[in-house]
Amino acid sequence: MLITGIKSRPVYDELTPMASGLNHLAAAQGSGGKPLVRLLQAMTPDQLAATDVLYSTESFTGQNYLAELQQFKVRNLAVFTTNADAVRGLDASLADAKMGTRLYLSGSEGFIGTSMQVATSYGMNRDEVLREQAGSSARRVWCAHCGHYSENVTHRVFTCPGCELNLIVRDHYSGRLAAFQGVKADGEVPGEMPDNEELDT
Amino acid sequence: MTTAPETTAFKTNETYTPEGDYQFRNSAEGVRRLPFPFPDDDYMYSMNLEPHVPAGDGALRAAFDIDEHYVSECAHRDQMLRDMPGVHYLALPHMMEAQWDLLELIFESYARDFPEQFTLTKNGNEWRWQNRLLGIDDSFTFGDPATLPMDPMEYATRQAQGEFVVLEEKDNTLVIGAGMTTQRADYSLKFNLGMSFFEFHGPVPKLHDMGILDRALKFLLRMKPGHPVRRVNWSLTVNPRLETSVETLPEWAPDRATVDSENAGEKVYLRIELQPLHRLPRSNAIVFPVRTYLVSLAELVQHAPNWAKRIHRALASLDHELVDYKGFHRYHAAAVEWLSQYDDGAPLATGYPWAPDGIQPNGQ
Repeated sequence: MLITGIKSRPVYDELTPMASGLNHLAAAQGSGGKPLVRLLQAMTPDQLAATDVLYSTESFTGQNYLAELQQFKVRNLAVFTTNADAVRGLDASLADAKMGTRLYLSGSEGFIGTSMQVATSYGMNRDEVLREQAGSSARRVWCAHCGHYSENVTHRVFTCPGCELNLIVRDHYSGRLAAFQGVKADGEVPGEMPDNEELDT
Repeated sequence: MTTAPETTAFKTNETYTPEGDYQFRNSAEGVRRLPFPFPDDDYMYSMNLEPHVPAGDGALRAAFDIDEHYVSECAHRDQMLRDMPGVHYLALPHMMEAQWDLLELIFESYARDFPEQFTLTKNGNEWRWQNRLLGIDDSFTFGDPATLPMDPMEYATRQAQGEFVVLEEKDNTLVIGAGMTTQRADYSLKFNLGMSFFEFHGPVPKLHDMGILDRALKFLLRMKPGHPVRRVNWSLTVNPRLETSVETLPEWAPDRATVDSENAGEKVYLRIELQPLHRLPRSNAIVFPVRTYLVSLAELVQHAPNWAKRIHRALASLDHELVDYKGFHRYHAAAVEWLSQYDDGAPLATGYPWAPDGIQPNGQ
């Protein structure tokens, strides 16, 4: 779990079955398969039979939990090769979701954040969703100048693929945009760059 | 009743951009009516909230102050909204009731406090709004957005000085639901929209550790309609540039490297933020206005010598973390050095200028 001084960063949970749920929807990506396996192990057979799982095998760190996930007798397991497809799959599932559906998300912060955007658009409340961060601490970054979103940013300073400015990643997170903020790193004196560092290490 | 507006000469040809060559100046009266934010020689954060009741005959006389820059600021807002659509004005879809609340509050306040310039005539929900400074005379149905050419909040705040951020109360916190922010200081409305009170204050140093935010939030959640509160805040900026958003940082940040101890008087501006917060009656939202005043260090020396001495001392002793956060690390020393020429070290009154025995712009 990420523990930092960043006040706007989400506080993540631990995935455990929500007893109040009539239906369960679990979406995970890469390393997020591990907390998902733990969640499914903790479910009763009835809960498993009322659970739909979406799993994306795209992983920044190369972790794949598909074989373990296939061991569980869930209602349905849908597999995606990209995180973007999994989020679209989540959107389609939520469009058909019934009252009493509980949502579980695990994986990178970027995956959880973009999945939360979808959940929020369906009016899901925070107490109907559990989120567990897993795997790399790479960040999703929004460029304040051109609006481009960069996935898997691992260093404090990087070049924006959208506008090619050197950006510094501020420790400020927007849930609505599901991203950290990137601003021109050498704004005051072009070429005068701040120290670079690995993020969250 | 009104005294200031009748004698105020509203300037129409001012600009707040490098393209417009920064044609901006304060009159002597314009400086001396400012809500000067330094009550002591030492500055540290505090909640400094007080009831927003009329005080003095300057910027704190009205619920929402207007001054000699009203017309040019409204023109600047129009320009910024056209230059960058979708960046400076945003409202979440469920904020419509709060939008009407805000329109009512601004128009009623202006009409009451500045009757020479504004008239609001109500016949049930059929309202007529006359703004003589901008040459507007419109009729619309209160509560019916189809009778206005744009969102009610955009319509009202295009005719108002200062920024307006509307916070909705949700889960015991306040969440940003809408904003008109063409004058924001180094933040992004697009990025911050939807954030809660602790989230959008995240980057501010010391606040969290000092417990100020907890107390401020508890206080704000107890606010009632009809009982506004206010605080003042400040920063420094280079050139009389109102729009200093995160989005346009590459345009304005280089100005910070142009200040030296020779030109600091002309280049460096004190940016005063007067924040009169109101609970809105129907939506239960809270409006957080940021009325921004710009005054150069040279204008302070010329028209308000006591305030120039005070700001010299406050800047010289300012905590370094705050210098960094407020973004003037690069020219802080130059500003202090320039101001030191005009500070004889004489003792100054304590308290805000609008308080009894507070610091006055000039005289003893």
